[in-house]
Amino acid sequence: MSQIPTPFYCLKDFPNVYEPSEDTHLFLDALEKEQQYIVNKQPLFICEIGSGSGILITALATMLKGHCCCFATDVNPEACKVTKLTAKMNQSIVESVEMNLTNMFRCKFDLIIFNPPYVVTDSDEIGGRGLNRAYAGGMSGREIIDKFLNTLPTILSNSGACYLLLLKENNIDEIKELLQEYGYKNELVIQRKIPGEHLFVYKFFK
Amino acid sequence: MKLLTHNVLTSKCIRGVTVGYPLLIKATNVKVSEVEFKPDFVAKVLPKIEWDVLANAAESLGHWQNLPKELPNNYENDTDFLKKIHRVLLEVEVIQGELICPESGRKFPITNGIANMLLNEDEV
Repeated sequence: MSQIPTPFYCLKDFPNVYEPSEDTHLFLDALEKEQQYIVNKQPLFICEIGSGSGILITALATMLKGHCCCFATDVNPEACKVTKLTAKMNQSIVESVEMNLTNMFRCKFDLIIFNPPYVVTDSDEIGGRGLNRAYAGGMSGREIIDKFLNTLPTILSNSGACYLLLLKENNIDEIKELLQEYGYKNELVIQRKIPGEHLFVYKFFK
Repeated sequence: MKLLTHNVLTSKCIRGVTVGYPLLIKATNVKVSEVEFKPDFVAKVLPKIEWDVLANAAESLGHWQNLPKELPNNYENDTDFLKKIHRVLLEVEVIQGELICPESGRKFPITNGIANMLLNEDEV
């Protein structure tokens, strides 16, 4: 399968949106590695949680040539705006909604991607709707991740797959065990050590 | 906000709300923009759509185009029908307006085509 190009984006007018960084690029590499699997799966409803610049969901929309309904949520209104624009710049369509995780959707998704706020911080750093929400993960970097994990069985379709980026300090074994209890298998898609962080992208599926 | 999105949004997680669906739409600016028509794709999405909700939403915006009130059988090869559905689901977009919870009356503003569905902590 072909390489997936990094989508065009422009954050000039959006200073409070997380600039695609090493973690974002690792996630793009994960999606590229999984391209055959994803294309074969023909997911109809796709959601990215915390879409930021929107390049990940746009990469998926492009990969699937628009044969999917792509949704993106973010708590940061600037991120929602730029996600929609990024999709447009790349001749794709993503429906952007200001939302906490996926709590206002009633549908199930066939594909969910989440590059969560995974950085270990004080709990009180998680607040508001600004740039801090892109990275501040609270205790063990797990506070937002855990809220998400608890909802996974209700938002992921039975044949669906979820890609999640995690940091070593997030206690990944614990996350795998929790999702095993919910009936999910896991597969390590890609990992990378960058200065100060050891990052992983996992796939969870039934 | 496209009507596809309206079809899958609910205010159920507001405390005290039991169904929260469908949300009412009040639109002050609606735009129709061309999206590439893929009949196979529309036919695949259709079974996932709440037909009545789509019909009422499109009708309230004046974009129902005299489609049948009940989903017809054998639509897979009816290109004209799928084209109309394509328009309603993917081309009609609410740019400004609001969504309203049918039970609590809570309003969710739509600005620049993006619905703000964020709740305050004391609402959930």
